[in-house]
Amino acid sequence: MPEQSIDLPQGMLDLLILRTLALGPKHGWAISERIHQVSSKVLQVQQGSLYPTLHRLERRGWIKAHWGASENNRRAKYYELTKSGRKQLEAEKSEWRKLAAAVAQVLETA
Amino acid sequence: MLSDLLIRLRALFRRNAVESELDVELRFHFHQQIEKYISSGLTREEAMRRARLEFGGLDQIKEECRDARGVQFLETLAQDVRYGLRMLRKSPGFTMVAVLTLALGIGANTSIFSVVNGVLLRPLPFPKQEQLMMLWEKDKDGLRSNTSWATYTDWNTENHSFTGIAAISFWSPTFISTNDAENLMGFRVSSNLFDVLGVKLEHGRGFLPPEDVRGNNFVVVLDHGFWQRRFSGDPKIVGKPIQLGSRAYTVVGVLPASFPSVLSFDPRKPADIYTPLAYDATLPYACRDCRHLRAIARLKDAVSLTQANGEMNQISENLFREYPKEYSAPGVTLTPLKDYLVGDVRLVLLVLLGSVGFVLLIACVNVANLLLAWAARRQREVAVRAALGAHRTRMIRQFLTESLLLSLLGGAFGLFLAWGGVALLQRLRVGNLPRLENVQIDTWTFAFTFGISVLTGVAFGLVPAFRASKLDLIEALNESAKGTAGRERQRLRNLLVVSDVALALLLLTGAGLMMKSFVRLLEVKPGFDPSKTLTLSLALWGPKAEDAHAVAFYQQVLQRVEALPGVESAGVVSQLPLGGNGDMYGIHVEGKSSPDPEEDPSADRYSISPGYLRAMRIPLLRGREFDERDGAGSPLVVLVNESLARKFWPLEDPVGKRLRVGDSKGPWRTVAGVVGDVLHAGLDAPHTLQVYLPQPQFTDTAVLLVARTSNDPASLAATVRSEIAVLDPQVPVSSVATMEEVVSASVANQRFSVLLFVLFGAIALLLAAFGIYGVISYGVAQRTHEIGIRIALGARRREVLRLIVGEAMRPALVGAVFGLGAAFGLTRLLAGLLYSVKPTDPTTFAVVFVLLVAVALLACYLPARRATRVDPVVALRYE
Repeated sequence: MPEQSIDLPQGMLDLLILRTLALGPKHGWAISERIHQVSSKVLQVQQGSLYPTLHRLERRGWIKAHWGASENNRRAKYYELTKSGRKQLEAEKSEWRKLAAAVAQVLETA
Repeated sequence: MLSDLLIRLRALFRRNAVESELDVELRFHFHQQIEKYISSGLTREEAMRRARLEFGGLDQIKEECRDARGVQFLETLAQDVRYGLRMLRKSPGFTMVAVLTLALGIGANTSIFSVVNGVLLRPLPFPKQEQLMMLWEKDKDGLRSNTSWATYTDWNTENHSFTGIAAISFWSPTFISTNDAENLMGFRVSSNLFDVLGVKLEHGRGFLPPEDVRGNNFVVVLDHGFWQRRFSGDPKIVGKPIQLGSRAYTVVGVLPASFPSVLSFDPRKPADIYTPLAYDATLPYACRDCRHLRAIARLKDAVSLTQANGEMNQISENLFREYPKEYSAPGVTLTPLKDYLVGDVRLVLLVLLGSVGFVLLIACVNVANLLLAWAARRQREVAVRAALGAHRTRMIRQFLTESLLLSLLGGAFGLFLAWGGVALLQRLRVGNLPRLENVQIDTWTFAFTFGISVLTGVAFGLVPAFRASKLDLIEALNESAKGTAGRERQRLRNLLVVSDVALALLLLTGAGLMMKSFVRLLEVKPGFDPSKTLTLSLALWGPKAEDAHAVAFYQQVLQRVEALPGVESAGVVSQLPLGGNGDMYGIHVEGKSSPDPEEDPSADRYSISPGYLRAMRIPLLRGREFDERDGAGSPLVVLVNESLARKFWPLEDPVGKRLRVGDSKGPWRTVAGVVGDVLHAGLDAPHTLQVYLPQPQFTDTAVLLVARTSNDPASLAATVRSEIAVLDPQVPVSSVATMEEVVSASVANQRFSVLLFVLFGAIALLLAAFGIYGVISYGVAQRTHEIGIRIALGARRREVLRLIVGEAMRPALVGAVFGLGAAFGLTRLLAGLLYSVKPTDPTTFAVVFVLLVAVALLACYLPARRATRVDPVVALRYE
């Protein structure tokens, strides 16, 4: 439930969005829902950060957008991963793993 | 990255589309969220409420998205510009005055400096032009003198300082084309002239040394303008012959258009044509003391002016020792070519530059003032915006944009004014300025002036924004501008009034002095009556240029002209007074001349026909005028002017005395009469000695015809021309002008200066008046409340008026006094330009002071009067 969710810091949002899109094009709401679901409802994406981040990622050329019809036949903007986006995803994934491992190590030994 | 750029561009140019897309996208998310909550069991209303809460501030999200799009800066800039334009449009008075003020300052400064740059500062368009020198001999008074062929050749062979020395001499050939004849102004030049100058001809070539020899010298090089005018710019003229006088000359080259009118004696008209000097030592006029050549030299790269000076002086000393009779003194003068050309106008232009600088200063001061008042008026707006959460930087940017807009507008206008001003000056060809045709709007000047106004605009436009951060918002919102902030600002405004008035007074004083000087100049009596008199020049050439024929021809022409209806009298003369020429001869008076003929004084020589004195209304004081008796074979006679008579025969009757003209061993001429003085070199020139000789006894083959008419002289021109053409169609007639035009042309330089000074003075006065008016209006508006109280408490309107005006005039008077002091100190710089007026002329100072105080008074009175007219009830309520 929402009270138990953790708000995502902005820096990680890039990574999660890219990962989510790696599985196929989605519109903004779908991305937000997916992250929420897959994280066992722990991570809650704020709309206030989602859309600006999406636009920023679009500017950087890692995702690209097109308009289409949603499941309930509404006009929606879909995003998909580009080639450079895929490369960025791999890069950020390995960064993240290194970071997580380092933090864990510090926490263990301290 | 391409995608980045594309997105930014799209965001910039398709803003509406992008915005609505964002809207749709967010709305979709919103709806999806609502659906989700509905499907999890909430009612529609609850679902919507929750979704709305989660969504937070929609606008904030949009804002962040916009930020993320990265065109924030440009968008806000566009917004600022739009807002700024709207604000400026809402106060058209303020905007117009500010823009106009800036435009005047920028425009005046740019155009004058462009002229100064083009005429004074810009180097001559020759390669390494700083190496070009004029070489003069020195006469016994140390003054510059022409040189002779013999000296020139010696200089050439003996010097090591120059890559080459060229010699030039005047030449006035008559160009004969199929249907008319024209007197040209030209030069005979040594074959190396174009090399020395470093000129590359546009067509053909310069002269070759074999052509600089008598017999082979019938070749010419054409000036570009002459070539365009007479040969329609046809390059095929090179190699073809043209008719000059009675000979054919082959055109070998055409000069480029950029070749300046460096060498001509009239800076407004470049020389038309050049031919080789073709001298050799056997010629009679190649003598060492026949000085009619001018020398131009180019320094060698490694040689400095001092070194060259030293060497040439040494050479000159050697020559002086070797030929003591031909040289009156040793020594040479080296003058850089550019200085020689522009020397005369340097003072005028620099003074003008100073004046214009002052005008710019006034303009900036005024604009600063305007912006301060503007800022104060928008205090409230600033406070409201600050209260609503506007960032300080945002407001600063806003005001900055407005100031820049003003500066840009003013600059654009100013550029337009400057361009028009320079074009006007060039079209009028005022003031005999050399190189005027080369003047263009100088980009550096414009940038500099523009930069200054931008700086002023920025500096004073930022004031309100900065004040905003120090503001007590509540106080500002209540708009009580009394208190220390108000007083301090008032002091600043007073300071600006003081400087405005002081500068205006300074400029006006200068203008007043120049005007007075010019008026005095024009009042000078030239010694003849220039009204209703036509003049034109005619010249004989070839075989007709022979004395007897010339005399007979002139008599025939005069007979015909005198017979024309409306013509009262007519005559010919070898040179016109104030005509810009000088023809002086040594005067050797019997019994009163010195053993060294060089020591005897010189006089202007006029060879005239009997009708000349009457046509010019030059009074005869003693004796008789010339008549038919004084022919070629008759006893030689001469008329002298009053100054000459007074100098040599102060107590005796000059009539009957004898003197020699020119040649100290020549024939004696008997004085037949004394005539009044005329001014020859200029209206401000001292009286010179003058002699008149009968044409038959001292003939010129080129003369000026003078005809006095009872009607309009200009309308006579065509008729006279045709009369001459009937007698001989191949005689070129030129320089047609009325005598009044001739006199007027002789003061063209002074007129130009006066015009500009008066213009700047007027601009300064206008700007100062505006400035004062603006400041006082503002100050008075601030005090409306106080005025209302005073009137309500029983003060009479007149008393209040006097109070306000009195207080307002104080800074103006202080400024006037300051200005007076500054003028006292600075006008002495004008002394060189003033005729018969002292730089501290008390009348001028007094008049200008009174004028300025009166204008200031008016500028104070008008707004004050408006304020006292206000209904006290309204005034009391005014916040």
